[in-house]
Amino acid sequence: MVETVLLVGIVASVFVGFNIGGSSTGIAWGPAVGAGLLSKVSAAALMTFFVFLGGWTVGRNVMDTLSGDIISIEISLAAGVAVLFFIGLGILIANVFGVPVPTSMTTVGAIAGLGLATGTLNYETITWIISWWVVTPVLGLWIGATVGRYIYPELNRRFEIRSSEGSLLALDRNSSLPMPTLGPNTTYQELGGTIVVLVIGCYMAFSAGASNVPNAVAPLVSSGALEVNTAIIIATVAIGLGGFTIARRTMESVGSELSDIPLLAALIVMLTASSITTALSWIGIPISLVMSSVMTIVGLGWGRATRPITAREAIRGDTDAELAMGALTAEPDAPVTKIGEAESEEALDAGDLFNPRAIVKYVSMWIIGPTMSTLLAYGFFVTVGIS
Amino acid sequence: MISRVLVPMDGSEMSEHALEYALTAYPDAEITVLHVVGEPSSMWGSATGLALADDLEEAAQEHAQSTFDRARELAADAGSDATIETTFELGHPVRAIINRADDYETVVIGSHGGTISERLFVGNVAEKVVRRSPVPVVVVR
Repeated sequence: MVETVLLVGIVASVFVGFNIGGSSTGIAWGPAVGAGLLSKVSAAALMTFFVFLGGWTVGRNVMDTLSGDIISIEISLAAGVAVLFFIGLGILIANVFGVPVPTSMTTVGAIAGLGLATGTLNYETITWIISWWVVTPVLGLWIGATVGRYIYPELNRRFEIRSSEGSLLALDRNSSLPMPTLGPNTTYQELGGTIVVLVIGCYMAFSAGASNVPNAVAPLVSSGALEVNTAIIIATVAIGLGGFTIARRTMESVGSELSDIPLLAALIVMLTASSITTALSWIGIPISLVMSSVMTIVGLGWGRATRPITAREAIRGDTDAELAMGALTAEPDAPVTKIGEAESEEALDAGDLFNPRAIVKYVSMWIIGPTMSTLLAYGFFVTVGIS
Repeated sequence: MISRVLVPMDGSEMSEHALEYALTAYPDAEITVLHVVGEPSSMWGSATGLALADDLEEAAQEHAQSTFDRARELAADAGSDATIETTFELGHPVRAIINRADDYETVVIGSHGGTISERLFVGNVAEKVVRRSPVPVVVVR
């Protein structure tokens, strides 16, 4: 009986991990694959390795929070399986409707629902977690906006990543010992840029492992049904499986959102989001990679859009517009109409791209998602009476 | 006699029906196709991509081009001798359409464009345009 329940639980874990693997591989490697810097298979392989590394190290802190700190009793095997079903349901909804439902939030919500139903919810921990969920998007937005407004144009001028024809590296067979040299058309700048993209992708995979491995298995670890190390390996295998299979598709859907923005901007987003996610996982806060990624993207674009000088001017450096406080509220320069083109009726205002109401609507999904999972789990556990 | 018609197009099949309808119903009118770029999406990729572009106008034009090409194709198929005008706006489709609508006598719009997720991020554009438009709106099904 116990074996059957455990088996069902592991199947649910694998489903959750599989889907996490699909979506986070898309985010971590979409830009690099899109730029043609590595193949989808190598991306999945790197993903699996660094997810394992992240889960094995930093991920344990999050595992402790999810399996032991949110509620004061241990999550029984049966309840753990039920919690996993709610996490899976959240992911299913996210996949079917294309809405980003942060998995970490669904997980915490479902466990909190169990806690409410059994009267064992640790309010101190849950408040601590929720307050970080409020701080994180604000932090991502702020970092994105600062970089977008002040630093991005300068970086953009100095940093160019492109993939030239021919392989990146070649073997020099002329010398006595075969030595790797730059491939045809490869410049040192390209080599450097490629290395940066790969390193940041690995970092993002690491943070995905740290934050997401526990989501897939923590409900089964709590009761001792699965040993922590075994659990981490199961989650890694499931995430890797997702990376090798459905990530081919997500790299085009989720990854394409990231490839709508320039590669440099995507790297800034990835670096920021991974750092926030790794740091919070370190202190045991379950957090979603998607949350910090999206807010950094919005911040970058919004910061750039509200900047008073255009990027082209900034690149040429032929502007003396000062970044004084007053300038921040100034209107962006009207685009110059080329000769022979109809006069545009009014200047395009990049600020229109970031309608505050649309952003609020977006953020509200992060409140609705976990609330729904808490309520559903609460209703379920009260009715069924598993604890 | 209707002489100025605005047809917002998002590239969906429904919006193509709207244009086809407008071409038949108002054969003598001056038809303007409006395409909104950089609308909210699941990760805000397209909005941010445009904001970071070196030349916003050029980047937006590039995004809108395929829709405009398709619109001209439809106009040619309909045998309309009147050339259609094209224009684009940034950001939220509803706001962009409402802002433009004042200059026209009628708005012809498809009843719905995208997938469920697009509806979640943007909402039902046609419904909101009907409610807020300063000029009469024809919703094509």
